[in-house]
Amino acid sequence: MIGSKILLVDDEVVFTDNMSKLLAHRGYRVTAVNGGEAAIKALEEGDFDVVVLDLKMPGMDGLTTLKEIKKLGLFTETMILTGHGAIDSALEAVKLGAYDYLTKPCDIDDLVAKIEGAWSKKDTMHKKDLGEKIQKVVESPKSAFTLFPRKK
Amino acid sequence: MANAAEHATPEHPPELAAERTANYRRLFRRFVLLTILCSFLPLLLVGWGINIHYTRFARQRMMDNFRTEIDHHRRVIELFLEDLSAELQLVALTHTREQLVAQGNLHTVFGLINRDQWSITDLGVIGEDGRHLAYVGPHDLMDKNYRETFWFKEVMNKGLYISDMFMGFRKEPHFVIAVLNSRTNPRWILRATIDTEAFRSLVENVQIGQTGVVYLVNGDGIFQTSPRYFGEIMGTTPFPVGEEHDGTRVYEFKGNGDGPQPLPRQVVGQAWLRQPRWKLVVRQDFKEAFAQVNHANRAMLIFLHVSGLTILAVAVLVTRHMIAAIRKRDLDADRLNQQLHQTGKLAAIGQLAAGVAHEINNPLAIVLTERQILLDMAGNGGIAEAAFQEQFPQSMNQIHTQVLRCKRITQNLLRFSRRTQSVIEPVDLSAFLGEIVELMEREARAGGVKFFEEFPADLPTILSDPSQLQQVFLNLITNAIDAHEGKPYGSVRITTASHREKGMDGVRILIADSGCGIPAENLERIYEPFFTTKPEGKGTGLGLAICYSIVRRLGGTMEVTSQVGTGTTFTLFLPATPPRELLMQLEGTTGALGACPAETLNT
Repeated sequence: MIGSKILLVDDEVVFTDNMSKLLAHRGYRVTAVNGGEAAIKALEEGDFDVVVLDLKMPGMDGLTTLKEIKKLGLFTETMILTGHGAIDSALEAVKLGAYDYLTKPCDIDDLVAKIEGAWSKKDTMHKKDLGEKIQKVVESPKSAFTLFPRKK
Repeated sequence: MANAAEHATPEHPPELAAERTANYRRLFRRFVLLTILCSFLPLLLVGWGINIHYTRFARQRMMDNFRTEIDHHRRVIELFLEDLSAELQLVALTHTREQLVAQGNLHTVFGLINRDQWSITDLGVIGEDGRHLAYVGPHDLMDKNYRETFWFKEVMNKGLYISDMFMGFRKEPHFVIAVLNSRTNPRWILRATIDTEAFRSLVENVQIGQTGVVYLVNGDGIFQTSPRYFGEIMGTTPFPVGEEHDGTRVYEFKGNGDGPQPLPRQVVGQAWLRQPRWKLVVRQDFKEAFAQVNHANRAMLIFLHVSGLTILAVAVLVTRHMIAAIRKRDLDADRLNQQLHQTGKLAAIGQLAAGVAHEINNPLAIVLTERQILLDMAGNGGIAEAAFQEQFPQSMNQIHTQVLRCKRITQNLLRFSRRTQSVIEPVDLSAFLGEIVELMEREARAGGVKFFEEFPADLPTILSDPSQLQQVFLNLITNAIDAHEGKPYGSVRITTASHREKGMDGVRILIADSGCGIPAENLERIYEPFFTTKPEGKGTGLGLAICYSIVRRLGGTMEVTSQVGTGTTFTLFLPATPPRELLMQLEGTTGALGACPAETLNT
């Protein structure tokens, strides 16, 4: 979806720079960070539709970052992009709730297709949630204050 | 693919094989000796005990038999003399002097006495004056006067007298029994001469084996009969007569090898007759007397020897069988060990390959993105665009950088995989460890682990096997990195230093991580094969077991200290030269030492 906000997480600076350029070229709004901690911070501060996450990183690794993201309870889908030869950690990530995975090196079109898939899922979930909330507000208007808190 | 390891049989070079054979031979000798000792000792003890007991028992029995026989023989002689004395006394009591002197009567009496067996040679009636009143016998003794003879005086005193052997008027050995009739006046004497031959045959002809000698000797040591050897009747015995005693004594005569008449060891039995006081002596060669015992002993000795030989044969056979089994086990163990090493090596390289794949995929991904950027730009405004012109060299440079990065990794990997042959060559441990660190550094860094190296510049090179060392360090460093699982950051410190241990120069290597540490209960098990705490599918449990075995094989030592939560330190010592056995073994299989002249071995 043109204009979707993507958070790119990878310790390889050259890679994030290049990938940012490529995704921006395809109409995405990309933020790149080079570690798990930075990713969590970015997610706390801003809205993202899809997170593209590397698994092998110094400090907070991909799996831990994923768990932290899940803890935040956002409507954000996470997509794993790993260079590790063994895919067992990628599968582990999917079990933990990641949308899907891709192994490096990968074609940009494949990545975009996955990002689109993730976005759709996120969008569906978001809309479903929104519908439920509206239903609740119709039933009890006062709940609107808790269901739709004013943003800082 | 025909794996070299599968076909590598533990065939050792001749020198090592000889040493092994010598070891087996030593083991063989020791086992045989031990088996023989264990079997022989009880056998000897039992044999010895039975022998002593049996010999003593059997000898006692023999002696008792000997004593009984002598007793019996003494009784026979005594009875003979007593009978004769009684007969003479009866005649003297039932006849008057006149009756006996009367023509023919004495002859009748003589015939009656000799009726059953020839006992006396002559019979005479002698008056108080010592002259014959009547005489029956072969000698012409009628005019002889016995008044002065010792036996005449004795019989006049005692009434009954049995003389010792004496020569007398007839000049041949004989003895007499004389009876005095003192109830009439004048008194008279009935005297009989015992037939010496009859008496001697009575005494001497008792068959006591082949070597048995029976004789009588009087209190003065004069033979009363002829022993078969060492003397004649009326001769003097070479042995002391000793004091008179009752009953029968049996003792052992030790032999007198150096005397004028050498006698062997003998069993001697002696008993004193009641009347006259003669000593009956029976001597028999010890050997013969105890022939049965000796025979039994000999049989036992033969049995002992046969048993010994059997034990020896069994010991040799069993031990040979055992050594063959041990040798086969050793060969199997060698083969298994080699296979284990090969498996471990492959596992280590496999693990490395997984890590390296990550390292190659990352630059490849960058290359791909650079290509895509250029394609995107070209698609946007064509390659003549200034932006494309600007991006193009940047991308190309980046592609170049990333390709070089890949090349370095693959080259490193190649160098690793090439080191599969065991070769003893000089190894600069600092450079060697540097290479390994370089290969693993990026993956480690991706896991938040940093390497710190302290390699002194003057570290001496050592002679060792790089293919094996590679395996050791790869394992230890992989473990060190893996120990940081669950920790965001950490470090692995690798230090080398010159060191002397157990009288050997060499290098000490410390690999210290800041990982999770090993609990004390696991610390003593880490070298056990198949012991692992890694999740299933990740660790084989062979790594440290193989490391330990390799380091030992290279003549080094390996120690570990660990503190849970703080980290683990492996301390290795590698000698400047590997053990002789390894050198010989490799010399036999690869000829590797051709690369290392003898001088370098001594550095």
